[in-house]
Amino acid sequence: MAGKSGRSINNVPESPIKKMIFSWEGILVILFILVNIFCAFFSEFYNLSSVLRQMPIYLAEVFLMLPMAYILVMGEIDISIGSIVCLAATMSCIVCNTGAPFIVVVLTGLLVGTACGAVNGLVLTKFQELPTMIVTLATQIIFRGIAEIVLGSGGSISASNTAGFTAIGGKVGSVPYILFLVVILAVIFAVVLGKTTFGRRVYAIGTNRKAAYYAGIHVQKIRMIIYTVMGTMSGLCALFLVSSSFGANTTTGNGFEMDAIAMAVFGGISSTGGKGNLAGGIIAAFIIVCLRVGLGQRNVHAQVILLIVGVLLVAAVALPNIIGEVKRAVVKK
Amino acid sequence: MSEYVLELKGITKIFPGVKALNNVQFQLKPGEVHALMGENGAGKSTFIKVITGVHKAEEGEMYLYGKKVDFKGPKDAQAAGIAAVYQHPTSYPDLTVAENIFMGHEIVKNRMIQWKAMNNEANKLLKELNADFDATAEMGTLSVAQQQMVEIAKALSTNAKIIILDEPTASLTKRESEELYRIVDKLKEEGVSVIFISHRFEDMYRLASRVTVFRDSQYIGTYDVDGITNADLIKAMVGREINDLFPKPKVKIGKEMLRVEGLSRVGFFKNISFDIRAGEILGFTGLVGAGRTEVMESICGITRPDAGKVYLEGEEIHVHQPSDAMEKGIILLPEDRQKEGLIMSWGLGRNVTLPTISKYAKKGFNDNKKENDLAKQLLEEVDTKAVDIFQPASSLSGGNQQKVVVAKALSQEMKVVIMDEPTKGVDVGAKAEIYAIMGDLAKKGYAIILISSEMPEILGMSDRIVIMCNGRKTGELSREEATQERILELAMEKSTNAGKEANR
Amino acid sequence: MANKSLIKKITGSREVLLAVILILLFIIVTILSPSFLTPKSLSDMLKNNAVTIIMSLGMLCVMLVGGIDISIMSSLALSGMAIGMLLKYEHISGTVLPFIIAILIGTACGFVVGLVISRANVPPIIATMGFMYIYRAMGYLISNGGEWASAAALGEFKDFATSNFLGLNCVIWVIIICYVIFFFFMKWTRTGRKIYAVGSNPSAAEVSGINVKNIKLMVYTIMGLLAGLGGALQVAVYASAMPDMQQGGEMDVIAACVIGGVSMNGGRGSVIGALLGSVILATIARALPLVGIDALWQNTIKGVLILVVVVVNVILQRIADRNALRGREM
Repeated sequence: MAGKSGRSINNVPESPIKKMIFSWEGILVILFILVNIFCAFFSEFYNLSSVLRQMPIYLAEVFLMLPMAYILVMGEIDISIGSIVCLAATMSCIVCNTGAPFIVVVLTGLLVGTACGAVNGLVLTKFQELPTMIVTLATQIIFRGIAEIVLGSGGSISASNTAGFTAIGGKVGSVPYILFLVVILAVIFAVVLGKTTFGRRVYAIGTNRKAAYYAGIHVQKIRMIIYTVMGTMSGLCALFLVSSSFGANTTTGNGFEMDAIAMAVFGGISSTGGKGNLAGGIIAAFIIVCLRVGLGQRNVHAQVILLIVGVLLVAAVALPNIIGEVKRAVVKK
Repeated sequence: MSEYVLELKGITKIFPGVKALNNVQFQLKPGEVHALMGENGAGKSTFIKVITGVHKAEEGEMYLYGKKVDFKGPKDAQAAGIAAVYQHPTSYPDLTVAENIFMGHEIVKNRMIQWKAMNNEANKLLKELNADFDATAEMGTLSVAQQQMVEIAKALSTNAKIIILDEPTASLTKRESEELYRIVDKLKEEGVSVIFISHRFEDMYRLASRVTVFRDSQYIGTYDVDGITNADLIKAMVGREINDLFPKPKVKIGKEMLRVEGLSRVGFFKNISFDIRAGEILGFTGLVGAGRTEVMESICGITRPDAGKVYLEGEEIHVHQPSDAMEKGIILLPEDRQKEGLIMSWGLGRNVTLPTISKYAKKGFNDNKKENDLAKQLLEEVDTKAVDIFQPASSLSGGNQQKVVVAKALSQEMKVVIMDEPTKGVDVGAKAEIYAIMGDLAKKGYAIILISSEMPEILGMSDRIVIMCNGRKTGELSREEATQERILELAMEKSTNAGKEANR
Repeated sequence: MANKSLIKKITGSREVLLAVILILLFIIVTILSPSFLTPKSLSDMLKNNAVTIIMSLGMLCVMLVGGIDISIMSSLALSGMAIGMLLKYEHISGTVLPFIIAILIGTACGFVVGLVISRANVPPIIATMGFMYIYRAMGYLISNGGEWASAAALGEFKDFATSNFLGLNCVIWVIIICYVIFFFFMKWTRTGRKIYAVGSNPSAAEVSGINVKNIKLMVYTIMGLLAGLGGALQVAVYASAMPDMQQGGEMDVIAACVIGGVSMNGGRGSVIGALLGSVILATIARALPLVGIDALWQNTIKGVLILVVVVVNVILQRIADRNALRGREM
């Protein structure tokens, strides 16, 4: 081959341990410990069993964070998922009340979610020029609008046959089913994003969509899959939501899209695409879940918790940028 | 008062990793048209940006009318009466022509923008330039030539005394070029000094009185246009005999690899047919915008052609998306390395293995070890100047980035390799290495399509040359038949005809 | 060729198309329900949607520079709640002072958002999402944990929304004044044109000496100012202040802009477009019950409308591009 200068190029990666400690995930782990210590001091009821008992209602949103991480890594956004949760919860309650077997109810929830996600995916892949924000803004209004029509003037429905929902809300010993499911899915989503060719391609799309396309990656197919899965997970979230509230109304799932995005971004996943990983997202999600349980135990209002989440979110993104800017300014001088 | 309106001495500009300008000088006389020539990457554009205050030189001095100046930013240069018209117009596509012209120095009265006055003034300027559009037209709807006219009008509106034109004719038809010559003549009459960057000798002879040549970031000399021959000028620009630079190996031409018949895409190219054999290097040339890149992108599935057939080794193939072409062994090395070829923030290794990750993966899981080994091997094979495979692609110079793109192609099973402007923005040394790689690939029996606007490269490397103009194939020359003049003639032919038609 | 120029006209002048749609909408609704086209009905329609109509102006500026702001309704709630509580506990009274206070609070909110976006380079969607939580919670906190300020507590302030000036409701006057100011600001001042320039080509703007960061800071501050004004109007029109007012309303404002032809990528959009977009949305909301469609359908219809508008836009653009290509000489 040409120009053999015999130059050798290193291909041995740095030790991963060193990388881990100085990474955002490392900081998050420390934060997680600090938050738990804080909660334990703040509330005398804060212990493992109370956390396990009270966390299921907050865990449902983690289902949304997982695929949202993929969408953010692609440099896109989906703000329709709260409405998908609402519609899926409504439809599964309706099917439940017809006396159908519970498996049909579960399938309804998942299918409604999947269908909604597929609608998003279809519009977004057929009309690639459109910003995802606008399309999912429209479908956000539409999906909740359909739920409003279905729910009628009362605006709410309760599941009359609660046996099935109670069952999925159950636990093994003191560990709720949902925690198992969250952990299993989190591992699957994290591994697929971090370790597989599919994940690598998602990062490529998020970093340079054009180069990814030129490299033969099926950009639109991957987008379609991710938006559809986003819908399915919204359906799953809806089912667990119903399992704790035994009903749905027009405000079900309101703002969930923001919570999911906040968890992911707080976890170091940049909304501009290509950066971050799910390990960070998952730790961040558990930090927020623990904070909610702990503060909730002393009746701190949900708004105050949101205030803290908001501050964490802005600080998490702004601080590294400000530090970087200051560093650059110092170097220049 | 100095003899020169503008004088630069000992300018050195350093970018991370490269010296873009090394102790260069330049003098501009009042009312002259001064050509600035040199190969791509010789430092012309950087030099212009130093004059216009976009870049700040590390060393050197600049004198305006004999007075030392130190521009802090583009605004200072603008205020000093220096205006630049860039190759790719830097306009606001959503705003009107008048606004584009007066951006930054709008006509205001009582802090209110005077639209009427601005439109009138803009129309006056446009009329002087013989423009065929109105000041209220939206910038984004204009052609490149028209946008360039707006940029010139903008320069005039600031009462600039020094106007810099950066490859203004690169994307113009012959008729449009004539129009530009006329405008430049007019500027000269009005006492404006013009710095003119161009690759075309024709432009230089027609317009300039003196020419300054840069090569490899260095100042070579300033000559009177009347007193220098074509050959001397080329020698000054290239710095060596063309033969040294192009190690074209003798390769036995094999069987037909790719044949294209009647390929058309509305608005981009029409009825393109050609074929290429194993071991052959087929040059594709023409002016910028002739449709060369678009043809190749259609063959590779980036875009879909409207008509035509593509045969690979005698069998018709249907390519619907880039992956189809790649699976069949048609590999494109895109023109724009930074946007299409590489993911700049990614490590070199990841870039190399991106198109083929699934080949090393076990059941969908990445095998990092195997990937890294392969990346190392390929990057060393093309002799990339890099420390490790994890450093980002953006940390490399243009030439080495191009080598990474080549390594990326090598990771795939190739039959036909399409290299689109592989030496654009690459310094001379690295260029030679890329030509050597190209020669090696030909020796291995791949069919190579080389798209290039650089005449020496096309003449030096190709076995056959296809010339395109305005979306049509206007000629095909063998290596022996091809001369610079023949190619230029064919590359401009159609545009002249089109101009005639439009005039009718 | 005639076909081409027609399409060009429609895509070229979004405002004309929208005006035609709005007029058609008016005609259809009036035929189906004559009570729609009465001064009282129209006045109510504008009054009830004043917040969205006015805040569309701020969103126009934000979207013109390629940004987005979803914190606006939280700023609105914070500023509205602030004056609500001040009036309730009789720290202030009257009409003018509450307006000034609300506008100041809103402006401060917008300024902080602008700082974070322009100086710390936080993506707008993330920054404004964070402040959406923060301002909403602050609004809740100053309400002593969820108190309302009801009509009785607001004193003469609420009369603003029911009083007339020269035969026109005061709230409508506010809308008119805002639109006149913005029409001049965006079209006739250099600062207004700089907003367009930054959105159309940020790097060119930087080169021609425009301070892009300051323009960004400015548009979010303007947005905050209008959110503060919106807060005062909200309290006056609905004669109450509560911490969760207008939750989710930011999507209506964005939707109004999108329907009005404001591009999400920046650089494109006009004051007239924002007006037409928000009035079309207001008309639909008003008209549905009048023509016998259940109000439950309102959101679905609104969502479908947004989707149709943006998709049709893409299709028209594709046709226009294709025609332009066909016309190219070869």
